[in-house]
Amino acid sequence: MADTPIPLEVRNITKRFGDTEVLKGLSLKAHKGDVITLIGASGSGKSTFLRCMNLLEQPNEGELIVHGESIRFKEAKHGREPADWKQVVNMRAKLSMVFQSFNLWAHMTLLENVIEAPIHVLGKSKREAIDHARELLERVGLGERADYYPAQLSGGQQQRGAIARALAMDPEVMLFDEPTSALDPELVGDVLKVMRDLAEEGRTMIVVTHEMAFARDVSTQVIYLHQGQVEEAGPPDQVLGNPNSERLKQFLAPKH
Amino acid sequence: MESLMNWLQAQLADNSIFTLQTLSYYGDGLVTTIQLVFLSLIIGLVLAVPLAIGRGSRHAWVRLPIFFYCYVFRGTPLLVQLYLIYYGVVFVEGIQDTWLWVILEKPFVPALVAFTLNTGAYTTEIFRGAIKSTPKGEIEAARAYGMSWSLMLRRIVLPSAFRRALPAYGNEVIFMLHASAIASVVTIMDLTGAARFVYARFYAPFDAFLFVAAIYLCLTFTIIYFFRHLEKRLLAHLKPASG
Repeated sequence: MADTPIPLEVRNITKRFGDTEVLKGLSLKAHKGDVITLIGASGSGKSTFLRCMNLLEQPNEGELIVHGESIRFKEAKHGREPADWKQVVNMRAKLSMVFQSFNLWAHMTLLENVIEAPIHVLGKSKREAIDHARELLERVGLGERADYYPAQLSGGQQQRGAIARALAMDPEVMLFDEPTSALDPELVGDVLKVMRDLAEEGRTMIVVTHEMAFARDVSTQVIYLHQGQVEEAGPPDQVLGNPNSERLKQFLAPKH
Repeated sequence: MESLMNWLQAQLADNSIFTLQTLSYYGDGLVTTIQLVFLSLIIGLVLAVPLAIGRGSRHAWVRLPIFFYCYVFRGTPLLVQLYLIYYGVVFVEGIQDTWLWVILEKPFVPALVAFTLNTGAYTTEIFRGAIKSTPKGEIEAARAYGMSWSLMLRRIVLPSAFRRALPAYGNEVIFMLHASAIASVVTIMDLTGAARFVYARFYAPFDAFLFVAAIYLCLTFTIIYFFRHLEKRLLAHLKPASG
């Protein structure tokens, strides 16, 4: 453990949109096999925090260290930006993201979606990528649907396809941005089951979610964000079972 | 082949207008029209792809000239553009002494230039619209999966935009075919030029122009059929599962 670099570490991330500071110095360390859940009310900054980790949003300050490699930044006209986009592209290939609205590429079949980045970003051979993709689609229960287009699939199937696409990158860390929020309630279970399996096999995951049961059962660490700051963090039975903060208690209280 | 010719001659025996002679005018006109339209569409298409990408550039010095080009060529009649280019080149100082004059003297090249620039402007706008309407999430996914700008353009944005642009581009092709009829005003013997010639020779407007209208209809039908086939293949991903 000590020899292998930490898959992902972020230090003191701040992010401003105009004058409003949405992230006020957030840090996080994901060791191998960690499942870190970010919870919080909407507007707490949890999705923005996640999107700063692969630089879909540019943090104004803070450090980002992926697999021991620190991302270099430079000052530009509109604020800070990465100094070396090649480094960012390499970094992103190590962190794969699953989005709330799936974001599969609509003009490609499911199989083509899954092999796209492995072939064109990682430089895998087509044969190898297809074999791996079929295996992954089988795993997420979509073996039969490889040649369907996203529009021909249900939301739950699309999201499981998107997870297969993420897995095809052999990522160091998987980032999940509210993966079940856009799904009909009856489709949530299948997606969560796939995510539980991933956690069990020791994948490093950072998950923004509203699914408290998932957070409780699967995470190694839960972080509760409030207005861009960590209000409470720790192991799930402590944070979710015996919270200190009044706000978190209210947040966790059953709403109906 | 010979029996076909005999049959055709027999059919044409009892009319004075559609002789083998006039039919060959229409035939040559058809070839000229197809050459003119096909070449200008191909070159216009090749021009339009980079222009459409540049049209959305962050840099004003890339974006503005393209905007200006599209605005001028979409904002003025094709006929005026054709006149300007065809009659205008004569007045360029010294052009008649250069090798260029050999091709510019005949009307085909000026017409080709006018048509190309015109369809290029429309096609640029069609593609730009299609590129702009690429779903934001798909672009975000491409970035998140480590694609560089050029890779994303090549693999995600353009393939998706071309498909979306297909129906509108099909219309542009038909529009171009019909607009090509004005080539005849600068003495090109295209389809309409042939019809005008036959009309003037026999003073038979209905025969001359109805015949040519029928040929245009056939061409249009072919284009529509071609694009429908293409859409069926390339837009399959937009069909819902039940379809």
